[in-house]
Amino acid sequence: MDALNNVFVNIADAIRGLFADSHSFGADLTINIIVFIVLFLIMVVAALFLSLVERKFAHWVSQRPGPNRVGPHGWFQFIADAVKMLGKEDITPARADKFLFKIAPMILVGVTLMAFGVLPFGKRMVAINLDLGIFYFLAISSLSTLALLMAGWASNNKYSLLGGLRAVAQMISYEIPLLFSLLGVVMITQTFNLSSIIEAQKTVPFIFLQPLAFVIYLIAGIAETNRAPFDQVQGEQEIVAGPFTEYSGLRWGLFMLAEYGNVVATSVIAVSLFLGGWNGPGFLPGWLWFILKIWSVIFLMMWIRWTFVRMRIDHLMHFAWKILLPLSLANIFLTGIGIYFYELLSLRIGG
Amino acid sequence: MTIAGTQEYALNMGPQHPSTHGVFRMVVHLDGEVVTKVEPKIGYLHRGLEKMAESRTYTQFIPYTDRLDYLAGPHNSLGYVQAVEKLMDLEVPERAEYLRVIFAELGRIASHLVMIASGSLDICGWTPWSYCFRDRERILDLFEMTAGNRMTPNYFRIGGVSHDVPDEFWPALQSFLDDLPENMEEYFGIFFGNEIAQARMKSVGILPKELAENLLITGANLRASGVKYDVRKAEPYSIYDRFEFDIPVLYGCDTYDRHLLRLLEIQESRKILLQALRDIPTGPVMAKVSKVIKPPAGRVYHRVENPKGEMGWYLVSNGTTKPARVRIRTGAFVNVQMLSEIIAGWKIQDLVTIFASMDLVLGEVDK
Amino acid sequence: MANEVLRARVGELAARVKGEVGESLGVLELTINSAEAIEALTGAKNFVDVPCDFLHDLAGMDLEDHLEVVYQLSSLRGPQRLRIIARVERDNPVLDSATCLWKGADFLEREAFDMFGLQFRGHPNLKRIYLWDDFEGYPMRKDYVIESHEQRAVMRVRKEGE
Repeated sequence: MDALNNVFVNIADAIRGLFADSHSFGADLTINIIVFIVLFLIMVVAALFLSLVERKFAHWVSQRPGPNRVGPHGWFQFIADAVKMLGKEDITPARADKFLFKIAPMILVGVTLMAFGVLPFGKRMVAINLDLGIFYFLAISSLSTLALLMAGWASNNKYSLLGGLRAVAQMISYEIPLLFSLLGVVMITQTFNLSSIIEAQKTVPFIFLQPLAFVIYLIAGIAETNRAPFDQVQGEQEIVAGPFTEYSGLRWGLFMLAEYGNVVATSVIAVSLFLGGWNGPGFLPGWLWFILKIWSVIFLMMWIRWTFVRMRIDHLMHFAWKILLPLSLANIFLTGIGIYFYELLSLRIGG
Repeated sequence: MTIAGTQEYALNMGPQHPSTHGVFRMVVHLDGEVVTKVEPKIGYLHRGLEKMAESRTYTQFIPYTDRLDYLAGPHNSLGYVQAVEKLMDLEVPERAEYLRVIFAELGRIASHLVMIASGSLDICGWTPWSYCFRDRERILDLFEMTAGNRMTPNYFRIGGVSHDVPDEFWPALQSFLDDLPENMEEYFGIFFGNEIAQARMKSVGILPKELAENLLITGANLRASGVKYDVRKAEPYSIYDRFEFDIPVLYGCDTYDRHLLRLLEIQESRKILLQALRDIPTGPVMAKVSKVIKPPAGRVYHRVENPKGEMGWYLVSNGTTKPARVRIRTGAFVNVQMLSEIIAGWKIQDLVTIFASMDLVLGEVDK
Repeated sequence: MANEVLRARVGELAARVKGEVGESLGVLELTINSAEAIEALTGAKNFVDVPCDFLHDLAGMDLEDHLEVVYQLSSLRGPQRLRIIARVERDNPVLDSATCLWKGADFLEREAFDMFGLQFRGHPNLKRIYLWDDFEGYPMRKDYVIESHEQRAVMRVRKEGE
């Protein structure tokens, strides 16, 4: 069991073992490159696979056949989609700001990939074990707003511009309750390090201590990833595809890649902070527990997406500023009181 | 230093746009996200049906009528064939009348299902959309097994219907009607009862009663503004006076009520269908009509209650085999006008919802 | 079939606007000259007891020697129906717009203008509705020559600044 639990860590150690000094610059560089490639692969495969699962799920929810032609029960559809996307013509509008237009999807993917760097996928399975992990994640993921605005502005299309502006308004609004909802956990554990937070949940996952924060995080997280019912940014029924209207082929694919990458990242954070990370009954290795938990969060997000209809932009802002923000502040307050009494109690018992 | 002010800008929505339900185009004047003015531009699907009718015989024109409101084909043909029959003073066999009502009401249910579906899709409700289409499919199957065509059955003839329905039609219809109440509860649960959907639709796009009457709005849109008027009751055509059904009226005048009214109408249509299923007699389905249809000279104006609004057929015959003038008054064409009247001040997202609630079909708007 | 009260009212109105009353398949018809169209419509809209206050349809009609505008009136509150036929000169097809009585006559009149070239005085926005703005001729008139396939296949040339 232990071997299975540490299989990835052992592989890394074995690679390090090839070098004379296992912590030399060369060894670190090699490991980092490998980890980077693996992370990128995780993201790409997750995105491709999720796009298929999303459709399968949607068709299951709404009782229609869904993709069922390519491969057994249509499970190879995502390969066909990827090939189709690669083969599409890359169109740049004549009056677009060409530099910004081209760089926007790359920035979005880059930002998402950077956020992946601090996500722990298992015990000691983290690319960079930052002490300010959560802080870094939030700071980096808020950069994606910029990429969307760039795409919207550079496309020189009114729909795109509307979408870009909506992205800024929405994502900045939802960043705040998102941040505050995570603060409760940080107050309890006294650390920003994701691995330490997971370690702290060995006995009880924080969803039981912070149920309100979890709900707020999930809602704000869905809003951050621009999925229904908060997909104002794309809003295909009103503004065609928002910032992505003018994109085609692989550039459009990069946006989708980033979207699903964000979905994964958001659920990883949810699992790490609230659902106990890799902790779980011992009959399965930790990283498998982690993946299963991620899937269940993604499942929940998909369920929400295919059940609810899209909110209106002013209701959305109202919801963020007048409901989620006060609630998350109240949660911090309650957590503070809780910690105070807990310490009072443990002092008395200890004394 | 001057501070740059805000600027209104015009956004061209359509004719290719996901939620214009066809090739409708509107020039939307926007102040940020808020719509200040909308100019509807139509005519992208204009086929000149009125002109075509003048160079075709009365019978030859029937297939064209299906293409007006292609979501509820039978009801258009019903209006046309009845107008010609009125002109010729023709009696239609009982069974044919019942079959016509059955088809017309099935068409109404199909059309309303599409309306609810696209209404929900326009606020990103994919699941209610596919629920409605799932059930509409069964109506189209019924059309297909009878007439071969799914959306435009071309089943009615001057003097009756082209042929009797196949035997498997009746059990299929019965099972569809049996499942309908449960399905409607599903639509209600996932769409009408949804908190977000209600917030999106309630008190949005108010069309007051006086304005509706002044704008000559007809059909379900008028009834959602609190006017109890339905041609099927006010001026019963075909055999609608034999059935017991209500005219649902709602007084909210808003987008939500316009959607909900369609759901209530499906319920009433189901009542009519159940009664028709019970009472339908056996017998011929076609009256004795001469091969060459030559109505006497005269004028007739015949109105029917289409799912999209009232449809009027003004036929002028000069005693030849071809009509001198066929004038088609379509409900949707007149109903388009309400868009620019009620839109000011709503957001671009509401524009889409309000547009969906008007239930336009471009085949009918553009003729 | 037509209501007696309505018949009396239409008779009074006909005397006032110098029109003729007829009947076709149970519907009363009032034929007038185009100059009296609005007066007749206003009168019909305000009939005592049997107001024909809903303009159900407004359509053009070409009778070779003159044009007609056919108003189909009904009511949301009663069974009364009336058809008013206004004769319009073919060379000078001008009459007053009904938009002052019913806002909704807007599109109907635009369509009649588009198809028959009927000029409605006082219409807020009398432009072509179905056909493009520089379309020549009025296709629903009987003397309109439908162009041949060869001509139709030629693409319309884009105008400067369009």
